[in-house]
Amino acid sequence: MINNLIPNPDTIQVSWIYFQILLLLTTPIHFFFMNAVLGSAGIASYLHFKKDEKAKKLAHHIAIFLPLAVAFAVNFGVAPLLFAQVLYGQFLYTSSVLMAVFWISIIAILIIAYYLAYYYDFSFEKLGEKGKWIILLSFVLFIIIAYFFTNNMLLMLLPETFPKWFKNMGGTILASSDRVFLPKYFHNLAGAMAIGGLFVALISCFKSKKDKEIADYGKEVGLKTFFYFTLINIEFGLWQFLTIPGSIRRGLIGGSTSGTVVFVIALLSILLALVFSWKKNLKLTAIFGLTALLFMSFVRDFVRQGYLKDYFSPSSLKVVNDYSPLVFFLVIFLIGIFVAYWLIKKAIEAFN
Amino acid sequence: MNYPVWFLPAIGGGTLIAFIAIVHVFVSHFAVGGGAFLIALEKKAYKEENKEMLEIVKRFARFFILLTMVFGSITGVGIWFITALVNPGGISFLIHNFVFGWAAEWVFFVLEIIAAFVYYYTFGKMDRKTHLKVGWIYFISAWMSLFLITGIIDFMLTPGKWLESHTFWTGFFNPSLFPSVFFRTFMSFLMAGVFGLFVLSFYEKSAAKEKFVKYSSLWVIISIILMIPFALWYVSVLPVEAKSLVMGKSPTIVITKQVLTYSSIAGILLGAIVYLKPDFNKFFVSLIIFLAGFLIIGSFEWTREAARRPYVINKVMYSNMIFENEVESLKSEGFLKKAKWVSIRNITDENKIQAGKEIFIHQCYACHTIGGFNNDIKERAKSMSYTALARYIEKIHKVRYFMPPFAGTKEEAKALAAFIAGDLLGKEVKEPESQKLDGKTIFENNCSSCHEVEDFEDLISGWSKEKVRKALDMLDKLNEEMPPFEGTPKEKDTLTEYLLKISGGEK
Ligand code: HEC
Ligand code: HEC
Repeated sequence: MINNLIPNPDTIQVSWIYFQILLLLTTPIHFFFMNAVLGSAGIASYLHFKKDEKAKKLAHHIAIFLPLAVAFAVNFGVAPLLFAQVLYGQFLYTSSVLMAVFWISIIAILIIAYYLAYYYDFSFEKLGEKGKWIILLSFVLFIIIAYFFTNNMLLMLLPETFPKWFKNMGGTILASSDRVFLPKYFHNLAGAMAIGGLFVALISCFKSKKDKEIADYGKEVGLKTFFYFTLINIEFGLWQFLTIPGSIRRGLIGGSTSGTVVFVIALLSILLALVFSWKKNLKLTAIFGLTALLFMSFVRDFVRQGYLKDYFSPSSLKVVNDYSPLVFFLVIFLIGIFVAYWLIKKAIEAFN
Repeated sequence: MNYPVWFLPAIGGGTLIAFIAIVHVFVSHFAVGGGAFLIALEKKAYKEENKEMLEIVKRFARFFILLTMVFGSITGVGIWFITALVNPGGISFLIHNFVFGWAAEWVFFVLEIIAAFVYYYTFGKMDRKTHLKVGWIYFISAWMSLFLITGIIDFMLTPGKWLESHTFWTGFFNPSLFPSVFFRTFMSFLMAGVFGLFVLSFYEKSAAKEKFVKYSSLWVIISIILMIPFALWYVSVLPVEAKSLVMGKSPTIVITKQVLTYSSIAGILLGAIVYLKPDFNKFFVSLIIFLAGFLIIGSFEWTREAARRPYVINKVMYSNMIFENEVESLKSEGFLKKAKWVSIRNITDENKIQAGKEIFIHQCYACHTIGGFNNDIKERAKSMSYTALARYIEKIHKVRYFMPPFAGTKEEAKALAAFIAGDLLGKEVKEPESQKLDGKTIFENNCSSCHEVEDFEDLISGWSKEKVRKALDMLDKLNEEMPPFEGTPKEKDTLTEYLLKISGGEK
């Protein structure tokens, strides 16, 4: 029955490996910005509710970067979603249809949350005390978006729930009742808060020339947030680890070499990042924190493949060779990197 | 049949797509043309060393960022989301064939965003030449996005040589790519002018504003005029069927084309008046020009979509996600046997209606709602009996080109007819008792899909028997939309009698 529901995939033009590499490269960048958005919106809300001038100034500083982070989170979300559709479209499209109402509502929610972020930034002074409600609302909306995303990313891995469609074709099926859902969701949220802390610490460096006090305060708040949320997140991670199917769990602790290696590197980086954030060493916290994010996204991919193993493996996709578009893309990509570098360089020059 | 369907009987997927698409194309074309517009305005301000003008450019840039970055880019993602929900099969096919086109487009999207932010945040802080260069990078990236997406969109309408070679480049450089790219480029300049006038109407009166109003109205007029030759070129490269739809076979497209013409005229006229008298660019005037622009884009996109019917990808996949080359085997082996996402595999008397419903969801819901305002099947089929529908469904594509062929067996066509006639319309579902056909039955089977009985009082009033009989041999010559009647001479005689009877007798 279930295999009878999973759609037949379309053919691909180059070996699946290329898509896999592109997926693995672009996903963590999206995660970084997405976490930065959610986490820094949360931190800004917290700061704005504190009755303290320093906190408000830092909130204002975050406000300037928040819309930029949203833009890049969306932008760098496009690429992994594209490659994920190439490799796992038959699952992803299906789960999206099953939860269509919520999935499409993300667009409306995102537009509102994004405009609120701009409003909070452009009208910070004018809004005064009211600003805290604006940023809080924006933060809550981002949490809702995360809820729907987590749902879809889990639902696509659960073909055994697909038959629910026959009873509910209106697009309101969720995966929230699956036992993995809550740990996964909390793990994502706490991780986002931690990386958001790191982001706040990093952008505070821009203030170090003009306003040393705020820069130091931002670094302190950011690293503290990173430390405590990472500490909490180890619990959520463990919870998720214990709820995922046993075969995947065993793969991560010896059953599969690649799975175990990425998992161990991720865990070690987290431990190091924790130590360095405690010691208030921003540079090393950033390096190990981001390494942890990178390898955790690999772990996530490993878990995904584990879930789908019984139904499908990307390596089984049929290839009709046509490599020239890939070459075209890579050329554009290189040009893009060069131009982006030039733009950013010129922008920094202009501000100094 | 390969994918589940998001089934909202009264709303329909098409409405949802249209809702997001219309606002998105509007803003996304502005995002391209507006880039060029900003550079042009900025240059003008520098040339005249006019601070007031520069202030306006900066204000406009802020409006531009807020609209295109947030609304433009998120609704762009929205289109992708909604089409994947409504037609996952079509999107999946496109993504798998053009993934690197999209990936390249994504690179330009990244550059667009970086350039837009740098442009806006460094306004007045950067040396002029570099700042203009940043503007150019923005515009070129945005235009490249347009170029790449247009290739893929127009592939859906005119796949051209791809149908033989199946390669990325033949699909991308399809026959309508270039007319379409030029057309859209001017459309994007039109949007820039239209938005320019609209935003300027809110600004307080000044010499600088007046100059920009004149300038914006020029963008409107010139863009509309330059769009015309490319529109004609565009139509000329369409495949025969699409061309005949555009040239008059589809009544709705004809109306849309009128909207297009009148909006263009209105745009040019009002633009000219505003050019001569910039003071005239009050809120309401600019709003009308704005709406004219909106209608031009809207009716163009609508026509393009409608001209593709019954396909989502011309000659490849029908709107209901069934591949053209699958139809034959589905007809012989049965839809319910081969489809995924159906629960009934064998039709029995008990499950017939349910089976029909499943077929409807997978084959007809793509264009028909049930009880909705948009192409309601209950409204469309209300004059047809169960037997008429069953026969109609089997030759649906032949009678009405813009609907896909029915992909299933005779048994399945009957189940679908039973669902529509019996369950939705509450009519009797009964196989005809005798094979002998009387006039009424022949009429119901062959004519009732387009004609009501009452129509014939007017249609053939005053016709002689011979004329009616002769007409039945050449229905397709009488009206382009009418299929030839393929009955035996005897049946034609019977039908002639019947027609004369319902028309009130031979006169
Ligand atoms: C590609 C879109 C599309 C699909 C798919 C489609 N239809 Fe239609 N159908 C139309 C349109 C458009 C009209 C209305 C034409 C008009 O304006 O009169 C129509 C009209 C009809 C009519 C009215 C009679 C007529 O010929 O105008 C019937 C009955 C009908 N459709 C049945 C079906 C059935 C049954 C299916 C599924 C097997 C189906 N349609 C699938 C687009 C579609
Ligand atoms: C696919 C739709 C369609 C079908 C099926 C169809 N017709 Fe028509 N027919 C039309 C249209 C459209 C016209 C134009 C007049 C109108 O709008 O009613 C027309 C006009 C006519 C006219 C008048 C022609 C004239 O020169 O004024 C006759 C007679 C006629 N139809 C007979 C029939 C008969 C008999 C059948 C069944 C065997 C039939 N039609 C089936 C669409 C159809």
